[in-house]
Amino acid sequence: MTNKDIALKTLAKISKAGFSDASTRVVAEEFHELQAENGAINLMRTNFEIDVGITGIKDHKKASLSVNKTDHETLEKTVDNLSDMARGASPDDAYGIAEMQPAEAFDAGPGEPDYDRMYDRIVEVQDYAKQQYPDLHFGSVAITFGNRRSVYVNSNEVQFESRRGVYRVSTMFTSKRGKQTSSMNYFNYSAYDLDTPVQDMVNADALMRQSTEQIDTRNIPGKFTGDMIITPNALGSFVGFLTGKISDAALISGTSVFKDKLGESVTSDKLNLRSCPVADGVSSGYWVTGDGYKAENSTIVENGVLKSYLLGLYGANKTGLPRAVNAGGCYQIDEGETDLEALIGGVEQGILIGRFSGGNPNDRGDFSGIAKNSYYVKDGKIQFPIKETTVSGNMVSLLNSIKAVSKERLNFGGSILPWVLSDGVIAS
Amino acid sequence: MQIAEIDLSKYSNQYSSYTELRLHENRLLNIALLNGDIVSNMQDTNGGVSARVFDKGAWGFSSNPNATNDSIETTIQAATRNAEFLAKRSGDPEHTLPRSQASASSDSNTQKPRKTQDEIIAFLKGIDTYVGDHCPDIVSRQVVLNCLDMEKKLQTSEGSSGHNTNSRSIIAVKLTTRNEAGEPIELSQAIGDRGQFEDVFETPERIHTAVDEMYEHLMNKKTAVKPVSGYHDVILASDLAGILAHEAIGHTTEADIVREGSIAGDYLGEQIASELITLVDFANSHNGEILPMPIYMDDEGVESHDAILIQDGVLKSFMHNKDSAQHFNMPLTGNARAFSYTDEPLIRMRNTAILPGKDKIEDMIASIDDGYLLMRPTNGQADTTSEFMFGVQMGYEIKNGKLGRAITDTTISGVAFDMLKEVTMLSDEMVWGCAGMCGKKQPMPVGMGGPAVKTKVFIGGE
Repeated sequence: MTNKDIALKTLAKISKAGFSDASTRVVAEEFHELQAENGAINLMRTNFEIDVGITGIKDHKKASLSVNKTDHETLEKTVDNLSDMARGASPDDAYGIAEMQPAEAFDAGPGEPDYDRMYDRIVEVQDYAKQQYPDLHFGSVAITFGNRRSVYVNSNEVQFESRRGVYRVSTMFTSKRGKQTSSMNYFNYSAYDLDTPVQDMVNADALMRQSTEQIDTRNIPGKFTGDMIITPNALGSFVGFLTGKISDAALISGTSVFKDKLGESVTSDKLNLRSCPVADGVSSGYWVTGDGYKAENSTIVENGVLKSYLLGLYGANKTGLPRAVNAGGCYQIDEGETDLEALIGGVEQGILIGRFSGGNPNDRGDFSGIAKNSYYVKDGKIQFPIKETTVSGNMVSLLNSIKAVSKERLNFGGSILPWVLSDGVIAS
Repeated sequence: MQIAEIDLSKYSNQYSSYTELRLHENRLLNIALLNGDIVSNMQDTNGGVSARVFDKGAWGFSSNPNATNDSIETTIQAATRNAEFLAKRSGDPEHTLPRSQASASSDSNTQKPRKTQDEIIAFLKGIDTYVGDHCPDIVSRQVVLNCLDMEKKLQTSEGSSGHNTNSRSIIAVKLTTRNEAGEPIELSQAIGDRGQFEDVFETPERIHTAVDEMYEHLMNKKTAVKPVSGYHDVILASDLAGILAHEAIGHTTEADIVREGSIAGDYLGEQIASELITLVDFANSHNGEILPMPIYMDDEGVESHDAILIQDGVLKSFMHNKDSAQHFNMPLTGNARAFSYTDEPLIRMRNTAILPGKDKIEDMIASIDDGYLLMRPTNGQADTTSEFMFGVQMGYEIKNGKLGRAITDTTISGVAFDMLKEVTMLSDEMVWGCAGMCGKKQPMPVGMGGPAVKTKVFIGGE
């Protein structure tokens, strides 16, 4: 039985159980991994995974279940459980499933892993680091390949099928000289192929070099309020506040600082933020949302103006606001007009932040955390790597204070992000 | 077929070298109420079989969601092939593992009749109603239930075998109000324990009590002041000591992190903390009490032992799996755990705690002229340098030995090996937390605990 057969048969069972609205998603993946630890490739993994997710709405009551078995007995029992779960739920008119859309199939990436290349790329980056940066120590380097097939069907006759084969590279490293240790750092990305050496991707070479520099760190000269250059590797921590506060939970609860801000300026006009799950070259994207809609790319912030919330179907129905055309993620910030060198050159005093280790910002956006793998910048020049430096401020203010966005960007496979210069951050 | 019904010993003739064969199922229940509406009502059951094979220093791993006879055999064969592939390319014949043989069984399933979904939702709605009735000045409320059962059956080629189930049930409550400027002010707390819902939440009283206390703190937080950034004398309340033990020290003493360059590797046997500090990663129980995450045998078939990491301020040992114990020539501790059937065991903490002292919390507060009482952690992170941070969502000024105004959310940080030397008082109470979910390649539920701690840390702020 194909995964599509399983999805359709399960959907029929849910409908037969009396659910007026039903959906089924079957995801099957062959997963392969090679991992090196402490310099030696010591793990080879082959996993076969499957997940069957079902959702049903009956009398405006909703329940969801997922299991990773596809035998008849398990699926029968799962649908029975779904009925029990829905019975106990509360009715809510906002529950729904995607409306009828034309059937479509999507396909991207290779179907099989190239184990030799995976092996060779790991050896190559470790050898490169050993030669170039003898103090650097890779705790782990892993390359995985996943070939994922998905089927989504619902009772409004929506049928989507997709397949994507993608490599993912992840690393963790520190540098050590005597008893001096750098802060750990890492880089991750995804790609459809392994044509490019790992050390040439996502600023990896610079991060490895910086790691060895960060064995010897210094305190900043004293507490100051100044600029912060957020590297692409750290930018996700800051973009995440904005995207989180324009999503279902924050908007339904009414606690979002971006409530009633659609069409209004919420950031500096230098920021253009998009969610692009189906853009060319995005290897970690998706074609179908969790609600069962064909995903489209969207503009979230254009020249500082909030153009779209990230509401799913439930959130949209609950708030009366438009449903987003995708489920978020795959964030891209448009390239700016400033060379990275000029961007740094314009900083009177500030921090170049390579990694943010901080507490979750509160609902107001107040944040505070440690600037890891970071540098002190003075008079337009990077001065030295820093230690034990806390940066604090407010996310809303930070986004509104963006002064420049770099021309250079890094493509992580899912997101494409530049260096961003903002100010008003307290460093202490 | 249920895990209990499958006999793994019959596959032992298929092992060509050291092999772990594991049946593993995670069962998750998640129900979330947002302002009374059910925004999540879902169950997830995820399980299957995995095999891990060791050959000349190389590990082969494979997993399959189906635990049929054929798929178990296929999984062993695939893992064996993977190990052989790596062993041929980069194997080290001298690389061996310490042997172990253990057996353990534990069952966290309730003996009470299971609650129906209707009854559980009614319980949560009751809590939601209580919050609505007793917290008049809030603008938003969330009540979220997470119940997790982890069932594992293990057989190793060295003869270890076991069948263990660990469960925990947590209800997280988040309250949001607004201050005079109309800005949202929130506070959240996780309440729960090891065990299934029926055993942990027999009655709602403990949650009512927690909600009442949260609401009082939230009202104080409406007029909170920002803390002054810098190093301060602080009392870390007992609910913060657990995350201090886990993040600040625990991670640096996991032997795989030590091999990656953790600073702890250079200080074994040295005084790294005040003599008041003894820190242990308990396997399963302490003082006759079963702890939040009891582990009797790990996923490498090693009997779990307490790992005394710091004793009277001296760094004594690390937490190990088989490979790291071999590397460091240290005793096995039984810390290797996998989160899912698709995962290999990693070195993970179990129940990590600073042991209590003899001081009274009132005396500790009275001993500070200008500092802070810090309570209620949010997230936390560690580093190989032992530099740690964690978020703090509730706290108070201490002025002249007395509690003052509430403070806004902040982040505290420090270098653990420095901060521990500054510890001058420990309270005589021991508080365990059960809601920790550690993230280190794989998620993993952990227990953590400790007393209130007087020390110095860096506080972020203005």
